[in-house]
Amino acid sequence: MSASLATEALKLVRARVTWVATAVVVVGVPLLALGFALAADGGGSSQLALKTRAMLPGEGWVGLLGGTGQILSVAMLLATAFVASWTFGREFADGTLEPLLLARASPGRTASAKLAVVTAWAVVVCAAAVVVAVLAGLVAGVGADGSPGDLVAPAARALVGGVLVAVLALPVAFAASAGRSALAGVGTVLGIVVVTQVVTVTGAGAWFPYAAPGLWLGMGGPDVAVSAVQLLLALPVAAAGWVATVVWWERAEIVA
Amino acid sequence: MNGTRPATLRAVGLSRGYAGERAVDGVDLQVDAGQVHALVGLNGAGKTTLLRLLVGLLRPGDGRAEILGVPAWRAPVDVRSRVGHVGTGAAYGELTVRQNVVAAARLHGLPRAEADRRARACLDELALADWADRPARVLSDGNRRRVALAAALVHAPDVLVLDEPTSTLDPRGVLELRRTLLERSAAGAAVLVSSHHLDEMARVADVITVLHRGRVVGTLDPGGVDLERQFFTMVHDAEDLRAAEAQR
Repeated sequence: MSASLATEALKLVRARVTWVATAVVVVGVPLLALGFALAADGGGSSQLALKTRAMLPGEGWVGLLGGTGQILSVAMLLATAFVASWTFGREFADGTLEPLLLARASPGRTASAKLAVVTAWAVVVCAAAVVVAVLAGLVAGVGADGSPGDLVAPAARALVGGVLVAVLALPVAFAASAGRSALAGVGTVLGIVVVTQVVTVTGAGAWFPYAAPGLWLGMGGPDVAVSAVQLLLALPVAAAGWVATVVWWERAEIVA
Repeated sequence: MNGTRPATLRAVGLSRGYAGERAVDGVDLQVDAGQVHALVGLNGAGKTTLLRLLVGLLRPGDGRAEILGVPAWRAPVDVRSRVGHVGTGAAYGELTVRQNVVAAARLHGLPRAEADRRARACLDELALADWADRPARVLSDGNRRRVALAAALVHAPDVLVLDEPTSTLDPRGVLELRRTLLERSAAGAAVLVSSHHLDEMARVADVITVLHRGRVVGTLDPGGVDLERQFFTMVHDAEDLRAAEAQR
C-alpha cells in the first residue's frame, strides 16, 4: 500500500465521522429493515403493517433484504457523501492542508488516495450492513419457512444497489474541494436528494443515475423497470466525479 | 542529507498579489546551504505569502521562485521530498503524536521502519516523547506546534522553511528549536525562518532580511546593536518613501 493510501486510511479509521456513519449504516439500516419486515410479515392490519407490506418487495428474506437495499439506497448516498465531504473539507477547515501538498505524492495522487479509501470504506460498510441484516433475520426467524438459498439473490441485489449509490456520492468530493469546505459537499448532496425526488416524481427516474438504484431496488413499486444500462449510469457519474476532483487538486492553487 | 543539487532557495523579482493588492512585490532573496536566513517584518508584511511562494504552495505572479534550482511551483517529486515546511499547517487531531510524525515521514518517501526510527528520534529531540501516544487534539497549542515541527524535520530535509515557528512555544521550546535549527544548518540544510521576534532571530540567523509591505527594505547584521531601532528606522523610511511616491 502506498504511503498516501495508508495515511488516508489511518485518518479515516480514526475519525469520529467515519464511526458514526458506519454505525448508522451497519447497525441502523438492518435493524430498521428488520422492523419493517417483521411488521409486514406479522399479518396485522396496523397502519405500519399495511404500509410496510406495500413498500417491501415480498415476504421473508426478499422482504428483509429488499427493505435493507431500499434503505441503503438513501443511507449510502448520505453516509458516503458525508464521509467524502469530511475527508476533503477537513483539510481546509483543520489547517492540515499545507503539509499534505508538500508530500512526495502529487496533490492529484493524494486526492485519488482519499477517493480510494472512501470507496473502499463504502463497499465494506455496505457489505457489512447486508451481513448484519442476514444475521438479524436469522436471529428473528425471518424466512424460516424457506431455504438458505432464498437470501442470496436479494442480498446480492441490496449490496449492488448500495454500492452503486455509494459511488454516486463521490462527486461531492469535488464540491467539498472547490468549495474548500465540508459543508459545500454536504450542501451538494442535499441538493442531489431534492433533485432526485423531483425527477422521480416526474417519472424520469430510471434515466436519472441518482434515482435508478433506488427504483431498481423497488422503491418505485413493482411496476417500475430499470434496465442494466440505466442502472450502470452510476459508474460514469462516479468516474466523472473522481476525475474532476483529481484534476482540480492537480491544477488548482489550493492554499490561495 | 542527500541529493546532488545545491540546497538553496531563490526569489528573483518575485511578486504576487491578491485582489489587486501586492502581497509580495519584486523580492530578490537567496538562502544558501548551511545558512540560517531570517525574514522579519510586521504583521501583514508578506512573510507568509513569500514563504508559500518559495516552497511552491502558491504560483508566482511575476518573477521566479526556485527551490533546489528548479521552479518551486509544481516542483518535481524528488525536490518536494527534500523540503521541510512549517506554516499554518496543524497536526491531525484524530491521530496520535507518533502517528502524525510517522505519517509525515512516510509521505516524504521514507520506508516504514526508517519512518518509525526517525519519528522516535524526532519526538525525543523536540521533547514530545511523553505525549507520543496521545491524540494530537488533546495537546496544548505549543505542543501541537512541536508536532508540526517534528513532522517537518523527520525526513531530514535539505531545505527548511519555517513560518513563525516560535509563535506558541514556551521558552524551553524556543531553546530546543534554536538548537535544532543550528544543528540542521551545520549539517548543510538551508534554513529560512520568519518571525517578528528580532532578538530570537539574531541568535540563530546568519542573515536577517526586513520585509515591509511586500518589499525587501533592508538587511540587519545579526551581531549588530539595537536591532529593534534599526528595524523601525527601515520600516519608517520605507513608509516615508511610499508616501513621497504617492504624492508624485
